[in-house]
Amino acid sequence: MSARSATALRLEIEHALERSFPAALTPEQRTIRETASTGIAEVDALLDGGLPVGAISEINGPESSGRTTLVLSFLAQRTASGQVCAWVDADDAFDPESAAANGVNLRQLLWVRCRKAGGLVQSKQAAKPWTQLDQALRATDLLLQAGGFAAIVLDLGDTAAEHARRIPLATWFRFRQAADRARTSLVVLAQTGSAQTSPAHGSNAQSSAAVALGCAAMSPVVAGGTVLRGFRFEVRNERQRFTPFAPGRKKPPASVWPAACAWDVAELSDDDAAFECARVLEMENSA
Amino acid sequence: MSQQLYACLHAAEFPSQALLRLRPDLQSLPVAVLQGRAPIEQVCSMNPLARLQGAATGMTRLEGEALASQNGGLHLLPRSLESEAAARAVLLECVANFSPRIEEASSETACAFVLDITGTERLFGPPRALAERLRNALKSSCFRASIAVSANFHAARMLAVSSRGITVITAGEEATALANLPVALLEMPDDHAETLAIWGIRTLGELAALPEVDLIARLGQSASGWRNLALAAHAHTFQPIEAAFSLREFCEFETPVEQMDSLLFVGARMIDSLALRAATRAMSLATVAVDLALEGKRVHQLTIRPALPTVDRKFLLKLLQLEIAANPPPAAVLSLTLTAEAGQSNKVQLGLFAPQMPEPSRLDVTIARLKAIAGEDRVGSPVLEDTHRAGSFRMSAFNAQNLAEEDKEAPPRMALRRLRPPLAVRVALNAGQPALFHDGRQSYKIATSFGPWRSSGCWWSVDGWDSDEWDVLAESQGTRVACLLVMDRSKHEWRLEAFYD
Repeated sequence: MSARSATALRLEIEHALERSFPAALTPEQRTIRETASTGIAEVDALLDGGLPVGAISEINGPESSGRTTLVLSFLAQRTASGQVCAWVDADDAFDPESAAANGVNLRQLLWVRCRKAGGLVQSKQAAKPWTQLDQALRATDLLLQAGGFAAIVLDLGDTAAEHARRIPLATWFRFRQAADRARTSLVVLAQTGSAQTSPAHGSNAQSSAAVALGCAAMSPVVAGGTVLRGFRFEVRNERQRFTPFAPGRKKPPASVWPAACAWDVAELSDDDAAFECARVLEMENSA
Repeated sequence: MSQQLYACLHAAEFPSQALLRLRPDLQSLPVAVLQGRAPIEQVCSMNPLARLQGAATGMTRLEGEALASQNGGLHLLPRSLESEAAARAVLLECVANFSPRIEEASSETACAFVLDITGTERLFGPPRALAERLRNALKSSCFRASIAVSANFHAARMLAVSSRGITVITAGEEATALANLPVALLEMPDDHAETLAIWGIRTLGELAALPEVDLIARLGQSASGWRNLALAAHAHTFQPIEAAFSLREFCEFETPVEQMDSLLFVGARMIDSLALRAATRAMSLATVAVDLALEGKRVHQLTIRPALPTVDRKFLLKLLQLEIAANPPPAAVLSLTLTAEAGQSNKVQLGLFAPQMPEPSRLDVTIARLKAIAGEDRVGSPVLEDTHRAGSFRMSAFNAQNLAEEDKEAPPRMALRRLRPPLAVRVALNAGQPALFHDGRQSYKIATSFGPWRSSGCWWSVDGWDSDEWDVLAESQGTRVACLLVMDRSKHEWRLEAFYD
């Protein structure tokens, strides 16, 4: 009875204030953004389900920070559901064996290997050949316009951050619009710049990225002191738009997740990782 | 049995028509076609505009050039028998849509076919309606032809040669219709033609009026046949030809072409024609082979393979453009030949709950564009080779297919980022283990190294390998990296192959 009167009261107030404040006491409806799992439980928990669909996600980090492994794990999930993905490789660094080891169905992956400058194709201004970054951006644009790809990875992992940051904001804005229209997850794999060239926690995709993750290596995992078994990585949520409203729940700022080497048949558990990490630290100290 | 009925189509000035069919840029200009050996070539065919400017059959090249310099704009093209053969095939295929029984009645510079259209009234209506549809079909294939319909084979043939547009003769009035036609249509020997000219016999009607017996007595037994032809009473045994279905178009340029736009301008017309011909048989184009004859007697070959057979002309033209852009001919082009293979039209069952996939035709264009940007062999799906050699793969064509797999929980595995080509490094060893390496720009101090992991294979061939791999954790200027160092045992060289990432 009291609930009914509260509803009636709310409607009465809203009706009275209708001209000044429409729906004054009704909370704004939020759109639930579709997400796709990365295949790593720790990262999914950090991102409330995974990387967003129809938006740009940026994964930053230095070399050996686990960013490529994270993206391959995401692609493995997408190809396992029968969807096709694309990898635009600005520096020709993609390793198909690693992708297959992570479970990516290679038949459903379109790999575009940008070539070093000096190739046959030249820009309209003639004389000056397209750089690898130019090729990668053009290829990404074409793939987004074509539509039908569940995920497109723009791999700028070996491109210097100061070069990647010169990509105009208009390009990222166009990519965001195209990704939204095509319902494609555009994942930008980028390098963390040095402190002099880029601000801390800066994003290449700037305001167009819905999610920006920062990756870092924690420690290696060694078996018996002679074999590298894997790594523990840290992933930090640097930016996330459209966060679902969850009162009373505080998200962790970062997660740690393990990745085993491709030849390791056993799955790496956190306990193993912690134990072996201590060993490798001892080795390093003694060295 | 219904009365026999024949329709004859006569494409006069066929050498010029065959050349201009695929060249819309020349269709509005006066063009004369030369044949013979240089420098004594003679005009053998021309379009109506050239005739208006004073061009005539038998003119020499010099006369033609003089005419061109007077009037300006008269184009002289060499005769191309290959173009005529391709055009004849297209014409034959076009008329084969109206009757399966066709006999060829071509002459030196004209292409003519006589169709047995007996019993086609229920399909195409009365003879005039059929003739109009036939003329429209020819027009859409860029042919000009006169059409005559008659119950007599030869009457139809002679009327088609001597008239323009459509002529339909009702049964029994053939002799009247032929009466005013010249005797030259009978193609009799010169001496007999001269005799008739001396007698003052110039038309078929005058020949038919001569008494048969006296005519035979003076000109011989063959005169009976000519008189019967003039009376439209000559019997004919129909000899049908079989039209082979081949999708081929050929165009020869008068001057070597270097601009891609000019090639595509002609290529667009050729693709249009091929697509139309395939579509009339309810088929699509599966592959199109492009042969570019180049200067120096070389041939540049390209192939367009859409993911699915299609007759979408714009799409095929785009693929042609991208293919030529990706593989430009190394020299100027003399002629262009397109040969298509027909395939069954595409049928795709779509599903509401099927995952989103790229549209096949659009994906083809996208991949062709990507190849133009990145390179022919740098776009596709990677396929792992069946070998133990590290990092070996090959590229295969990407086919967007729904290959859903069962849910399998694959834990993440550390990925490698390869350096292609591997970077030569200098390595300092300490107690047999790498302790420091320098990549040319900076030095890395190795904190921990794991290895060596020896790998070798294919020792019996030139591309064998024998190497030691080291997983190293290194540090440089505060940055820690995990990388894969390889020592090539055969060359005693160290290489930085990849980074763990």
